[in-house]
Amino acid sequence: MNTFRQRFMGNPRVIAGLAWLGLVVLVAAAAPLIASHHPFEIVAEPFLIPSLEHPFGTDSLGRSIWAGLVHGARTTLVIAILATLASVAFGTLVGALAGYFGGLVDDGLMRLTEFFQTIPSFIFAIVLVAILTPSATSLIVAIAVVSWPPIARVVRGEVLSVKAREYVQAAVLVGQGDMAILFRQVLPNTLSPLIVTGSLLVATAILIESALSFLGLGAPNLMSWGFMVGAGRSFLRDAWWLVTIPGVAILLTVLSINLVGEGLNDALNPRLSDL
Amino acid sequence: MKLSRRTFAGIAGTFLAGLCLANSTVAQEQGGTLVLIVQPEPPSLASYLSTSGPIGMVTSKIYDGLLEYDTELQPQPSLAESWEVSPDGKTITFKLRQGVTFHDGEPLTSADVRFSIMNAAKVTHPRGPNTFAAVTDVKTPDDHTVTLVLSEPAPYMLMAFSGYETPILPEHVFGEGDLRAHPNANKPVGSGPFKFTEWKKGQYIRLDRNPDYWKEGRPYLDRIVARFILDSSTRTAALEKGEAHFAAMGAVPFNDAKKLAAKPNLTVTTRGHEMFSPVSELLLNTERELLKDKRVRQAIAHAMGRQFVIDNIWFGYGKPATGPMSSNFAPAGLYSGDVKVYEAENGVEIANGILDEAGYAKDADGVRFELMHDSLPYGQEWTRFGEYVQQQLGKIGIKVTIRQEDVARWLKRTYADHDFDTTANYLYNLADPVIGVHRAVHSGQIKPGTVFTNGSYWSDPEVDKLLDMAKVEPDAKKRSALYDQALKIVAEEIPIIWVHEMNFPTVVNNMFADVIVSALGVYANFDRAYMK
Repeated sequence: MNTFRQRFMGNPRVIAGLAWLGLVVLVAAAAPLIASHHPFEIVAEPFLIPSLEHPFGTDSLGRSIWAGLVHGARTTLVIAILATLASVAFGTLVGALAGYFGGLVDDGLMRLTEFFQTIPSFIFAIVLVAILTPSATSLIVAIAVVSWPPIARVVRGEVLSVKAREYVQAAVLVGQGDMAILFRQVLPNTLSPLIVTGSLLVATAILIESALSFLGLGAPNLMSWGFMVGAGRSFLRDAWWLVTIPGVAILLTVLSINLVGEGLNDALNPRLSDL
Repeated sequence: MKLSRRTFAGIAGTFLAGLCLANSTVAQEQGGTLVLIVQPEPPSLASYLSTSGPIGMVTSKIYDGLLEYDTELQPQPSLAESWEVSPDGKTITFKLRQGVTFHDGEPLTSADVRFSIMNAAKVTHPRGPNTFAAVTDVKTPDDHTVTLVLSEPAPYMLMAFSGYETPILPEHVFGEGDLRAHPNANKPVGSGPFKFTEWKKGQYIRLDRNPDYWKEGRPYLDRIVARFILDSSTRTAALEKGEAHFAAMGAVPFNDAKKLAAKPNLTVTTRGHEMFSPVSELLLNTERELLKDKRVRQAIAHAMGRQFVIDNIWFGYGKPATGPMSSNFAPAGLYSGDVKVYEAENGVEIANGILDEAGYAKDADGVRFELMHDSLPYGQEWTRFGEYVQQQLGKIGIKVTIRQEDVARWLKRTYADHDFDTTANYLYNLADPVIGVHRAVHSGQIKPGTVFTNGSYWSDPEVDKLLDMAKVEPDAKKRSALYDQALKIVAEEIPIIWVHEMNFPTVVNNMFADVIVSALGVYANFDRAYMK
């Protein structure tokens, strides 16, 4: 049987996804170096078509789309990753407690999870951001609050199955405490589905962030891709580059994350690929 | 005098109509359905309760007023055949037209006018209580004579008798029950050229021709359909395709209006907003320590590029403002542009000079001080405006952070809590400065909790005095001199940065003519509109 590394890196779709993601991360990290202008700074005439001087053109106020794209990558990635980390942490905690302790704890926590799952997540996110006043923090909170339930359910399911294994029973016999068993024996063995779900969640978070910014509920002092699409949408027929360029960036990034996520899934569950 | 003005208006109207018709000389014929885009759908049809724009667009066809107004804001007869202001300015007498009936067949009499002013305009209308504050009684010596008794002269009041501003309601319908929650609110009965027929929620309101309208042969149109289309690009497409024939007041995005103007089947005009004349502003909270300083306010005024805002945010619709009063008052002799002008090529440089001299030094990052700007939550243009303010003030060392809240919270923060540094807004000048301009700068208009009043909290006893005198001055020349003085002080003190006189594109399908014929524009009754 191939090693994880061989299965993962031997997948051309994973390589393509990783290449684009690597580029985005690099650009985001080096944003102030690559784009000398502040993304909101008015640098030239409005509606300049992409040219050598302004590689991606300018928007309706004469701001550089290139600067927006590069700084937007930063905002979009940071918000998506932080929101994902928060929702994975919370979802894992809820799922693990529910799965491990069962009974009333399980019932209570799962009803809570279902309560959140019954609310349409995007509309819920809109309401949360509107109540909290749009800012980077409220975007992260809103995305995390609407994304944790699936994580909780996945983790609970895994914990239920792992909990019945012999090595867990052995740990109980040895006299380890509940928390030690949960965090040292059970959770580490639920990691693979968690990694897959978590990585796909980053893509969802990017989409939610973009959609909120598109609606004008993004962080008003930060440039983001969704904001660029939203601000440019009324000019689609006059200046295609305003929406097309950030739109393609969102598309490629979300696609790449999905490719990598699926690659991870295939590599972590080799038996699935034989089916 | 009155006659000659009317004759002149008639000649001018014919001339304009001739221009529009160009190669068609056929007389107006009856028939046709005009599809009017109303955006958004009105919450109700109670124009005596709310001045919300979409309501007026529909109800102005149903309810006529005592007067109409031409594009120069001059009153014209409507339900009142003639009117007379007493020499002391303390009574206004209207002679009503004979034989006018409401849509239910009942005759319109002086009692209906009395009811509409004393029970509706003075009580339930948002602006009416202010406009008609001086009215102490309405006398009805006979069925066709109405006399308004005033506590003091109120020359501006004659501007408030359109069917849009002060609709004449049938007392036999609205007199019974609570006017604030009346069953006929959404089944209006008026005396206007069109009757209410049906309201399909979410889709359209249909109005049909009133065959008993008092103007001989009018209206020409058989039907007006007010359609509601949520998406702005769909509205543009509907106009292009001819599925809808008319859109006004921002129903079409400014950048699309330019494109539509190039279409052979459409005409885009900016006429028909003279009665509203909104002026955009960067509102400063002069209670804040930094903005109390006149030099800071002047520096900000210099840093703003009014023409840039007009060209790039409002796509050329508008002209630079010189103060709170719109130049649409120039024909009335009230406007004066002879004030301190802040717009300059090197505005940023001048502003930096003022702030340097005032002792607001820049720190290592080039920042003198910080301000929070609350973006006006009224759509894309205002978001761009906020971003522009942030950029421009950044150039003069003022670091601006933008906050974006919803309408309810923005209103509360701005006009109730007064908890902001800078924000944006636009106030309608309306038909007279007393109604539309005084509220922005008079100290008596510092009314926490009342929206669209003096939001900067700035006050000046000299300006108050001049405005108070202008309010009751019947002589036009003297009145205009008072405004000249007041506007000069206001421009020097610049408590609010007035940016541009807003102009809205109105799109009309060329199949129709004479749709926009007065200062009321889309809020007129459309009795002259016809299909070619």
